[in-house]
Amino acid sequence: MNRAVKKVRHNGEEPIGAVIGRTFILLLVCGVAAFVLLGFKLFDVQVRRHGELEEKAIEQQTRESAVKASRGTIYDSGGKALAVSATAETVYIDPYMLKLNGENAADISSHLSELLGVDYDSLISKFENTKQRGLPVKRKIEGEEAASVRRYISENKLTSVYLAEDSKRYYPQSSLASSVIGFVGTDNYGLEGLEAKYDEYLTGTDGRVIRLKNVAGTDMLFSDYENYFDAENGCDITLTIDSTIQYYLEKHLKQAVADFDASGGAAAIAMDPKTGGILGMASLGGYDLNAPFDISEEIMESISGLDAEGYSAELAAARQRQWRNKAISDTYEPGSVFKIFTLAMALEEGLVDENSTFYCGGELSGVPGRTGAPYHCWKAGGHLTQTLSEAVQNSCNIAFINIGLRVGAETFYKYIDAFGFFDKTGIDLSGESASIWWSPEVFTEADNKTQLASASFGQTFNITPIQLVTAVSAVVNGGDMYTPNIVKRVTDADGNIVLNVEPKSVRKVVSEETSATVRGILENVVSQGTGRNAYVKGYRVGGKTGTTTDTVKEAAEGIKEYKVSFCGAAPMDDPRLVVLVILDNPSAAKGYISGGNMAAPTVGNIMSEALPYLGVAPQYTEEEAKQLNVSIPKLQGKTEAEAAAALEKAGLTYKTVGDGESVTDQLPAPNASVSPGTKVIIYMGQPRPDAEDVSAPNLAGLSYSEAKRALENAGLFIRSVGVPATASGAVVSVQSVPAGDTVAAGAVIEVTLIDKSIQGQY
Amino acid sequence: MAKTIYAAGRERQERIDNEEEFAPLERRGHMDMPFLLLVLILLTVGVVMVLSASYASAYYERGNPTYYFTRQLAFAAAGAAGMILVSRFTVQFMRRWSMWLLAGSIALLVLVLIVAEPIHGVRRWFDLKITTVQPSEIAKVGIIMSFSVMMCKYGESLRRFRLKNSAWKGFLRAAAPFAGALAATVALLLVEPHNSAAIIIVAIAAVVMFAGGLDLRLCVLAIGIAALAAAFVIGKAESSYADVVESGGGAYAMRRIVFWLHPEADPTDGGYQVLQSLYAVGSGGLTGVGLGQSRQKYLYLPEEHNDYIFAIVCEELGFIGAALILALFALLIIRGFWIAMHARGKFDALVAAGITGMLAIQVFLNISVVTNLLPCTGISLPFFSYGGSALLMQLAEMGIILSISRDMPITRAG
Repeated sequence: MNRAVKKVRHNGEEPIGAVIGRTFILLLVCGVAAFVLLGFKLFDVQVRRHGELEEKAIEQQTRESAVKASRGTIYDSGGKALAVSATAETVYIDPYMLKLNGENAADISSHLSELLGVDYDSLISKFENTKQRGLPVKRKIEGEEAASVRRYISENKLTSVYLAEDSKRYYPQSSLASSVIGFVGTDNYGLEGLEAKYDEYLTGTDGRVIRLKNVAGTDMLFSDYENYFDAENGCDITLTIDSTIQYYLEKHLKQAVADFDASGGAAAIAMDPKTGGILGMASLGGYDLNAPFDISEEIMESISGLDAEGYSAELAAARQRQWRNKAISDTYEPGSVFKIFTLAMALEEGLVDENSTFYCGGELSGVPGRTGAPYHCWKAGGHLTQTLSEAVQNSCNIAFINIGLRVGAETFYKYIDAFGFFDKTGIDLSGESASIWWSPEVFTEADNKTQLASASFGQTFNITPIQLVTAVSAVVNGGDMYTPNIVKRVTDADGNIVLNVEPKSVRKVVSEETSATVRGILENVVSQGTGRNAYVKGYRVGGKTGTTTDTVKEAAEGIKEYKVSFCGAAPMDDPRLVVLVILDNPSAAKGYISGGNMAAPTVGNIMSEALPYLGVAPQYTEEEAKQLNVSIPKLQGKTEAEAAAALEKAGLTYKTVGDGESVTDQLPAPNASVSPGTKVIIYMGQPRPDAEDVSAPNLAGLSYSEAKRALENAGLFIRSVGVPATASGAVVSVQSVPAGDTVAAGAVIEVTLIDKSIQGQY
Repeated sequence: MAKTIYAAGRERQERIDNEEEFAPLERRGHMDMPFLLLVLILLTVGVVMVLSASYASAYYERGNPTYYFTRQLAFAAAGAAGMILVSRFTVQFMRRWSMWLLAGSIALLVLVLIVAEPIHGVRRWFDLKITTVQPSEIAKVGIIMSFSVMMCKYGESLRRFRLKNSAWKGFLRAAAPFAGALAATVALLLVEPHNSAAIIIVAIAAVVMFAGGLDLRLCVLAIGIAALAAAFVIGKAESSYADVVESGGGAYAMRRIVFWLHPEADPTDGGYQVLQSLYAVGSGGLTGVGLGQSRQKYLYLPEEHNDYIFAIVCEELGFIGAALILALFALLIIRGFWIAMHARGKFDALVAAGITGMLAIQVFLNISVVTNLLPCTGISLPFFSYGGSALLMQLAEMGIILSISRDMPITRAG
């Protein structure tokens, strides 16, 4: 057949045979080999590289919009918001899309820089990264600013600029409890304080919506591909902190730092001794949480002269200082406050009782291991024979060395451990420091009792303020050691409780009886002893003073820098509040440096406001009732007789000016709070003369009656707080209007009275 | 007796070959049904794929998702009718017009340079309002037809290249008309510029000359030179990688070669098209994302209903679907060469081989570009890529092969 075909085809020009052969080669090459090759290549791309290429394709085809989880709110114990999140938006640019769609970088940059106030040059250089997508331009914009960008994008149909939902953190109470709450960074990640510690709870989980998009970034046509992943909003946190108590704490601490010029700063903690819950915690140098990176103008001024490197180093250091939570991060030598524990352990061990007596001759020698000078009591000449309570009231070091020696190093060490001084308290805050102690081998050396002796009155070791407050709480609450906590409850967005912190007594350190005895003695310290400046009228306040020097610095630089402190508790029959105040490096120019003189009145002031707030009813003694400041009644329009009766009822005296029928005006004004017995001026039938400005007299160191007289001479009135005006050693410590400042005549000046009768570094 | 029949047959055959007599139409055989079926299947699948691939861009660019589809469908119907019409004319009849076709296409290539409005800086199209026409498409057929004629005439002199006895002079004389026609066409295409068409023209010229019996040693030599040139270009591309990618320099063609080798070096520009094509092809996997479900066609992949339509085919129908279409093309091409091998005479055979070869080259180059086997060039996929006049031309070419199939002795015998 084939042969026949070939023959037929032979048409005389030339045989077709060669064409058939060549064509067959073409058939094999073009029809078979080429397609086998294509098949292999297709298999390589489609099947072998499928996963990799599909992933890249989906990456560009899908638009993932984050559904931002809202960060949880931080509430105080009363439900007042301390940190809240609000919706904001962040502007991003997409240089990849800019290049792809040929949009004008210069034009966009100039518009955006105008709308957002960002730098044009840095914006246009960002656009040069044409392989990148989603570079943030300005974060957390709101309201009109965001709307203007949105308008600009839609008017120009831009694909290289977009807005993404973001959230912004607000702190409605600005600086309140700043060192505790902390703040978040630009990405809403907690950087400091509770914001950092509880970040995991607060953050929540961002949700996503995945949609297919076309090249212009809008939704793909006819596509029902859409995937939702719901956002889980962050949990809310309720703190044990009560913002009112926190406010009192900060107010009085700030006042104390100003009054006593405490250049090293200050810290204060208020704790509920029955739960270990922190009611307030303050570090001086608080900052505005809404602008955590802003440094006070003074510091900015002081470092402005430095070169760039020094400037940024100092700036960073200043920020760290202002963020530092001294109440848990600083360690210090507690000094005499620590005698509370020496006392408690000796009582618990039955080594002393309230009838024990101690002799202090001013110095003590013969402590094993002590070479050189004997131990000295702060009071030259000594306290002579004292009962146990008197030894505490006097804060007598010699008596406490003897008590410590009686307890013995091993038992002492065991109690220190039980009071939690060797471990971090485990408070739910970041940045808690560890204490510094002698090792047990050194502390319990048989022939060297000097560590024990010093530790007995609170020296030669370092602890944190939070450790001290926690242990004092245990001593006064009946002996239960609680783990301090600042977060009461974590609830999810639906209100379910995720975490509920129950007060947890980790161990019993001392018995109920010991606790009661210690409470009684500490109350005596305030009512009769070195802590009497913490006295609050109507309340049974107890506590202990402490004054130490920074011995390391003293040895190195010869400078004495004091840390004065007072740890108080009230009411002593059933303590509801323990407050510790530490003032770092107060100035000798502002008064005699001691815990009793400086920290105790601060604690007293805090207590005087916090206790009524906590609902503890005052119970005034007859004597105290007479001392209470009184509110001036309104007298206008009254006859002299009526006015006199009203004033007498209020415990005030008066003098008249003019001889009209009725009272036309009065000084001080109605409702002003003044000391009892104040002589009110009533104007009869004639107007009060225009108040002249007067200069406030210097009252520092004056007794109450001297101060009252000095103020009356200046045409001013007095009101006193602090120890009773009738107390033997009561003198003015600070005055509400500093000496020399001008004040309107007839104004009321508040003086803080302290008892200076026992001055010493107790 | 038999001898007389043969003699009579030969005599008549000679008359036909010498154009002294046309084979009466009623005496022609049937069209080759496998070939016709394969063309119609591919055409149908191709039109459906135009619908799928183009509806996103048609919607965005034309406001009507079926804009491209309806036009392509109309041209496909017209083209199919045209194919049948063409198949009714004998190739011997067409043969007479071969050299005129070449001359005409060259004239059109000159004319397009003069009258055509440049589009994107190139002058390739006559705008006939309904559609545009590329004279290069006509030139391809012109080259096939004219080279087939010339191979019948001078083929014998090109069978062997000898240096002895000045035999090479005769060879060169015979080769001169081929060289002249090819050089003129290619030169005009390069002026347009239209490199891909120039490449195809050279390739189909080579196919016809190879089939027509050009000295095999020369063919091997040409392939060797082409391979060396390719190796050299690739080497050059690798050495100018830094220049092209980092400073954006390099000639147009060189940039294409560099981004063929390294598409990921510049995913937004130089390598964009290659990567987008690979994303589409790779997304398909074994079974594809489903007909109509392509995501790459949402304006990611440029030319998705033209040169890159096969990428959408791969994405939607997967490896299985794409391989099936490849197989249909392979069968069509094999059948085309089979028709050439069984053609009535040398001219028929050369025309059939030339057209089939052109089809094979276009399919191979297009799919190679889509899968990044070869650097990016603008070559459309027959029966699939959108374009009315090109589709009409392709179907007319298929009509020529069908015409040849009708005159195959075996069909006529059957």
